Amino acid sequence: MVGELIEINGLAKTYGNARALNGLDLRVMPGEIYGLLGPNGAGKTTTLRITAGMIEPTSGSVIISGFDATKESLQAKAKIGYVAEVPILYESLSPRELLEFAASVRGIDKESLNRRLAQLAEAFDVVSAFDSPIATLSMGTKQKVAIIAALIHQPPVLLLDEPLNSLDARSNKILRELLALHVQKGGAVLFSTHIMEIAQKLCSRIGIIFQGKIVAEGDLDQLRAQTGGKDATLEEVFMKLTHESSEVENIVRSLRESFFENESR
Amino acid sequence: MKAADAWRMSAIPYSEMAFKSILQNSSNMWWGSFGRGAASEVSEHEDLVKRALRIARFDKVILAVVVTAAAGVPFLPLVLGATYGLAASVTLSLAVSFALIVLYGVQTLASYMGGEFPPFLSTLPLLRDDVSLVNLFSFVRTSDYPVVGTVACQVFFVLVVTGSVLSGLFMLLAGIVNSAIAVTVSLWLSSLFYKGIQGSRRGGRGSAIRLVMLLAWGIAVLGIGVLFAATGYLIPLAQGALANPNALTSTILSLVYPFSLGVGVGATAHLFTPSGFEEAALAATLCYVLIAVAGSWWSMRSVASFPEGAALASGGEGARDTSATVHGPVGAYMLKDLRMASVNLPSAFLFALPAFETLVILVYRGALPTLRASTLLVSMVLGGLVALILPLVLVSSESTGFDFAKTMPLRIRTIVFSKASIATAVYLPAVAVVFLEAMLKPLSSPAVGLIPLASVLAVASASLLEVRLFLGFTPAGRLTFVLQDFARMAAGAGLVILPALTYAVAYILGSGQYLAAATMLVVALIELVGIIEFVRRS
Repeated sequence: MVGELIEINGLAKTYGNARALNGLDLRVMPGEIYGLLGPNGAGKTTTLRITAGMIEPTSGSVIISGFDATKESLQAKAKIGYVAEVPILYESLSPRELLEFAASVRGIDKESLNRRLAQLAEAFDVVSAFDSPIATLSMGTKQKVAIIAALIHQPPVLLLDEPLNSLDARSNKILRELLALHVQKGGAVLFSTHIMEIAQKLCSRIGIIFQGKIVAEGDLDQLRAQTGGKDATLEEVFMKLTHESSEVENIVRSLRESFFENESR
Repeated sequence: MKAADAWRMSAIPYSEMAFKSILQNSSNMWWGSFGRGAASEVSEHEDLVKRALRIARFDKVILAVVVTAAAGVPFLPLVLGATYGLAASVTLSLAVSFALIVLYGVQTLASYMGGEFPPFLSTLPLLRDDVSLVNLFSFVRTSDYPVVGTVACQVFFVLVVTGSVLSGLFMLLAGIVNSAIAVTVSLWLSSLFYKGIQGSRRGGRGSAIRLVMLLAWGIAVLGIGVLFAATGYLIPLAQGALANPNALTSTILSLVYPFSLGVGVGATAHLFTPSGFEEAALAATLCYVLIAVAGSWWSMRSVASFPEGAALASGGEGARDTSATVHGPVGAYMLKDLRMASVNLPSAFLFALPAFETLVILVYRGALPTLRASTLLVSMVLGGLVALILPLVLVSSESTGFDFAKTMPLRIRTIVFSKASIATAVYLPAVAVVFLEAMLKPLSSPAVGLIPLASVLAVASASLLEVRLFLGFTPAGRLTFVLQDFARMAAGAGLVILPALTYAVAYILGSGQYLAAATMLVVALIELVGIIEFVRRS
């Protein structure tokens, strides 16, 4: 039996008095795209940053492909490709210099590197930007460079924080196809997004994160079953689980009243 | 919009640009490291942002104090009773303040050049001219304190020395002209450097242009250092050159900037007794006033167009291939750091500093007939202490990109060894300076030749220790962060000083130069082995 590629147990993280994660548990199996869905500040990015080994949890554990992300961080990081919501790159380097750095540190041989770079740069249409300082590139091109850096070593685990935000339609489609191929090959993806349609279309399972822990997970039918709405959309399920339905209705009602207040006077 | 309202409003875009400039120019943030929080408590990005805000708040004030003091130094001989040299003092004061304003301006204006001028003003219901005025004032704010401080200081000293209101007014004019030209030159150089260094494409011709520009910048900065350090020697020299009205050099100097302004101030006070070319100086001054006016006009127009992205240098053909090469992890990290440093102007200066410091000491001790152990010890240790700024600069220059490195399977010791290797390599030109000196004059003893070798080992140990400590190893105890940072730097300094100290102690105890040098070398070796083991285990 094949084990989980990502296993998160009782993850907690506090910043001073603020509690970002509050005992979060999740598992992602090979061949799975797991969508992490939650309101702003729910803990999505913190979860991904801890899983990527960028920050340490206050308590709990993250196991990547059998390696503890804290105690065996080098082995765990070797299995991960991470794309941040806002691309974090060395902006004074060019994409070529940055990708050479990433490939060298990850121990990729020159031939494989050049083959993969040629494919990915062509696919994401960034060849002409290869020698320009990253600081001068558009947000979308930066995001593409970050995606190539995450894919260049063909890791089994991809951690993607809102990766489609700045991408054009072409790159958006290519990335989604790449993710599908990745999971077909037995890889796993932990994916955070705000866009319900993408989560619904792309993810095999969805976890709703709220106040630092997973409050519900499963495919859309399972989530519907948990909220009691048989024909509910993912958005309705999400609103219900994050206790935002009635709050949003009240806010919209109040806004409508104030918008038309002047006209009625 | 009233000018006063525009001035008040300009504080917001100015603060934003100063903040962004510092955040971009991360090697400038080394001094802002002091007092930062422990890495485990706040994210790297949050820490950097806080540091950049702290520096943005105090950077200009600190610079204003430094520039004002530097502008006042050339007047000290006159205040202390010298009865000659007003023209030379004014000239040097103007030259030093000009150089420092340009030096600061080029670095600060980087974010204006990067086309990241805050666009929000354009979205507000303001007239286009009002937006331009606010932008212009925000640009003026980049150097307002240093300019006001410098000009006030110069006018004050001229009034004190001459007691002449006319001289004071002429100095005021000279100071304003000098500052206006300095700010214009800063803006022009920022644009040039941005296009040539930060905004240029990598590889081939772009790299060559970048190298030339960095060298030019390094030499210019060292020149400013010499100008400032040698003020005491330069005043009599300049005054001597100006003193002979019949000499061609005097006439030429009176036309050259900023001598013309200096001669003009001297002439108004009748303290510049030799006459005959004041007229030439005054005519040249008029030309410089016109240049200052034209320069200011150009600056205003340039700054007004920044929100439209006019400063952005784009164009040229894109890359055609994606071929790349690979290195070992330490080599890759070093290459990454060097590439980042090669697009950073202040780094060019810092990288040359240890060799420069060593050279200065050797020159000061130049009168001695042989190259003695004491001269070598002092110059090598001081060069080594200056080199210890590099580890902190290299750690700071990671900036927000360090989060990218954190996702890589990198051992801390890989980063430590790569950064310490660069810091040690930067120290090697200091050794080269010593060897060049040794070719010109004999060593007091062959054993003295071991001192540079031991010093290199000591600097390597100190760099390793400092980088390791700055990469998040927090000493136990309840020391404040500021004290912790000083403690980290002091630990490195201790490793540089200790071998030299053992040499001195061994020599004083009567061991002779051979044994003293051998002792120094052994201590430096023990340090290096111990620190490598510490880095490997920690």
